[in-house]
Order: sequence, then C-alpha cells, then structure tokens
Amino acid sequence: MLMRTPRSLDIEITARCNLRCRYCYFFNNPAVDYRELPTDEWLEFFAELGSLGVMNVTLAGGEPFLRKDLPVLLEGLVRNRMRFSVLSNGTLIDDELAAFITGTRRCEYVQVSVDGSCAKTHDSCRGKGSFEHAIRGIRTLQRHSVNVAVRVTIHRNNVNDLENIAHLLLEELELPSFSTNSAGYLGTCRLNAADVLLNVQEREFAMAALAHLTQKYNGRISATAGPLAEGRAWRRMEDARAQGAQAFPNGGRLSACGCPSNKISVRADGAIVPCSMLAHGELGRINQDSLAEIWQRSPALNQLRNRHTIPLTEFQFCAACSYIPYCTGNCPGLAYAITGQVDHPSPDACLRRFLEQGGTIA
Amino acid sequence: MNRTDRPIVNPIVVLREEFDDWAILFNPDTAVAVGINPVGVAVWKGMDGKRNLEEIVLEIKAGFEDAPETAFEDITAFVEKLAEDGYVGYELKTTTND
Repeated sequence: MLMRTPRSLDIEITARCNLRCRYCYFFNNPAVDYRELPTDEWLEFFAELGSLGVMNVTLAGGEPFLRKDLPVLLEGLVRNRMRFSVLSNGTLIDDELAAFITGTRRCEYVQVSVDGSCAKTHDSCRGKGSFEHAIRGIRTLQRHSVNVAVRVTIHRNNVNDLENIAHLLLEELELPSFSTNSAGYLGTCRLNAADVLLNVQEREFAMAALAHLTQKYNGRISATAGPLAEGRAWRRMEDARAQGAQAFPNGGRLSACGCPSNKISVRADGAIVPCSMLAHGELGRINQDSLAEIWQRSPALNQLRNRHTIPLTEFQFCAACSYIPYCTGNCPGLAYAITGQVDHPSPDACLRRFLEQGGTIA
Repeated sequence: MNRTDRPIVNPIVVLREEFDDWAILFNPDTAVAVGINPVGVAVWKGMDGKRNLEEIVLEIKAGFEDAPETAFEDITAFVEKLAEDGYVGYELKTTTND
C-alpha cells in the first residue's frame, strides 16, 4: 500500500566534490544540471518535508561536507523533526563538524567510502591522499560517538584487497560492520569502464571472497547490490532452477526495485526525481511543485511503481531463459544506463549472461 | 492517571497519517515509530493539554459508533503507555497568587 507521503528522501545537497573518483555515478550525467541551491531554498523545502511527516533524509552529493552551511541545513532538518544520514568521502570531517553532528542527536549514520586497505589501493580510483583523510575522518567520527557506516565499492583495483579491507575495517577500526557494492556503468564510470568494472573472472572471485569473509566475520559484511548480493541471489536462482522449484513470489517480473513506493530523491539543482540513479527523470521542482502531489499523482512515478507488473517474458533479452521464474530484472537505474530503457531487465544482473561469458557460481 | 488529567502530546513527535486512517507516531529523538489505529489517531489529536481524559473519551465515543463499554479504560491504558514511552506528558495545573 502506498504511503500518503514519502517516509524517506535522498537529497543531493551539493553538486560539488573535492574528489573525482573514476567510478562516480554522480558526475558525467548529461541529463543533470550541476548547480546547487542556496541555503534558504533548502530550508524552505525542509519545512515542507516536516509538514508531510517525512522521517529520514539522507544527504549526499557531491560531497556534503563541502557545504559551509551544512550545520545550518542539519539544524533545519532537526527543527522539522527529521533524522538524517550523510554520505561522504570522509576527507573533510573535522572535530567541530563531528561534535556538531553528535549534538543534534538525530544522526542515523555518516557513511564514509573506503575502497582499500592502504593508500595505494584506495587512492587508485579516488585520488592521492584520499585514503589518509578518509581514515582520519572515520576516527574523528568515532571519537565523537557518531555512528559510522562504511561502504566499500569493489572495482578492478581493489578486488584482490578484500581480505585486507575487511581486516582494516572490522579489526583495526573496530567497526561493527560494513557494506559492499561494486562500480556500476553509470556517470563517470562510463568513461573508465574498461579500467574499473569487474570482468567475469573478477566478479566470480569477488563473490567467493566475500562469501568467505562474511562467514569469517559472522555476517558483519552486508550488501544489497554488487558481488556479495549477486552471489547469494544467483545461488538461490540456480538451486531453484536445478530443482524445478516453483517461481519465486516476485519472480518473472520487473519487480526488483521497491524504492519508488518508499522514498524519493532530489537533485542538487532542486529537481525531484524518482531515484538518484534515475536522475534524468524530472518529476518537478522543490518549492515550486507540491511534493505530496508528485508522490501521489505523478504519472511517471506511478508507472515506475507499476513496473513490477511487466513480465520478463516480454523481453527478447530474456527469451528462452530458464531463470525467468526466479529473476526480478534488478535495478531500473542500471537497466536505463545500459539499455536506455527503464522498463527493461538490467543486463548487468543477468545470471544467464554471466554463465554464458564463462562465469561460475559457488 | 485520573479523569481530570489533561494529557498533551510531546511536540517533537511526528504524527504521520496514512491513507487508511491509521497513522505512525515517530519520535525523531529516539528513532522509534509505532503504528496507531484510527481511534488512536483521534485520541492523539484530542490531547492538546486543554481537554481532560474524560472529555477526550466522550468525544471518541461520540465519533465512533462501535465504541466499547471499556472505552475509558482502554483509552486510559493507551495514553498511559504513550506517557511511559515519552510520547505524551501532562499539562501542569497552574496556580495564581493574587
């Protein structure tokens, strides 16, 4: 059942970043106007969110800590009775900011990206000096008792460093857990795909390594996308196919993404979009259009919500695939980036294609 | 709690009303959210610090045809639980010094 208003929002609070990561999904999107809004426009919007009962806001970018007015913006969220999270590269976090965040008592977490166990690996895609600053940022947040979440994006340069990364994060930094995904064919990554994206063998290696590490660290490594999640999903699909099992409850249709029924996103320029990975799909503008109206009545958003009714048998791409009853088509954002169509299964998540290209699943 | 207590909602708590007349109470300080039914929503809206508990129950009985005999006890228990969890306080009685 659709909620009256979104419970959560993802907001790209800035279009600037101090890093230029080689796989960044945010930059190099021709559909996006890379400008950002002044403080008062965001505060006006936050008041609207408060009146709608929005509970959680995730601030992303760009790099949110580049905004000098970040404390004022966070105060705006707090004043309007919301909780918040921040997605960051960690390099600009200092004691003053960390103390401020703690003082709000409304921070779910600050997520810092860590892609290597050492500067050589981490900096290979994120730029010189970024590892040292990111780790310092994490330690600063920990010192101030801010809940730190770490995301590891797996790519060609760090796929052989996973064990060391897990050791760094879970043992040296003593984080309770971390999450993983992998570089996807979006944004800047499209320019560097050959150097960054995992090939079939690397993907297979990452799936096995992460499965081992998850066991070793008793489930403290998680994923909703990338090799760890794929390895698990593909194993279930293969087992079901081999046993001739009944179709999965949401299998055989483009049912993978429930995000449009739970949350909505806002670009740095104030455009309201279904998701930051569907940044081309402008639904309206903050402070000009009613968010509740868009949420409840936008034809484009409702079409996306109804994507789950589209059977995979409609697609030539899926013709004669024995995994159809167990497949959900995966991420619409990645499907759009690769095929130019939102209503299409994501080729990147196709088990049959992975196997045809020589991949195996443990 | 007694019938003359005047409960008042914690102003920090968010009432998220949904399409089916149910709602979510969300305390952003604790990140705890609880679901409440349509009667709970009506009670919540009645707790303005001006009405006492008896007056709130009378309004609920007038607004819901199938209110049970135990409405006062049920609503009292509901409000006491909300108070225990920090969603509700009580308006202090004021005294004047002439």
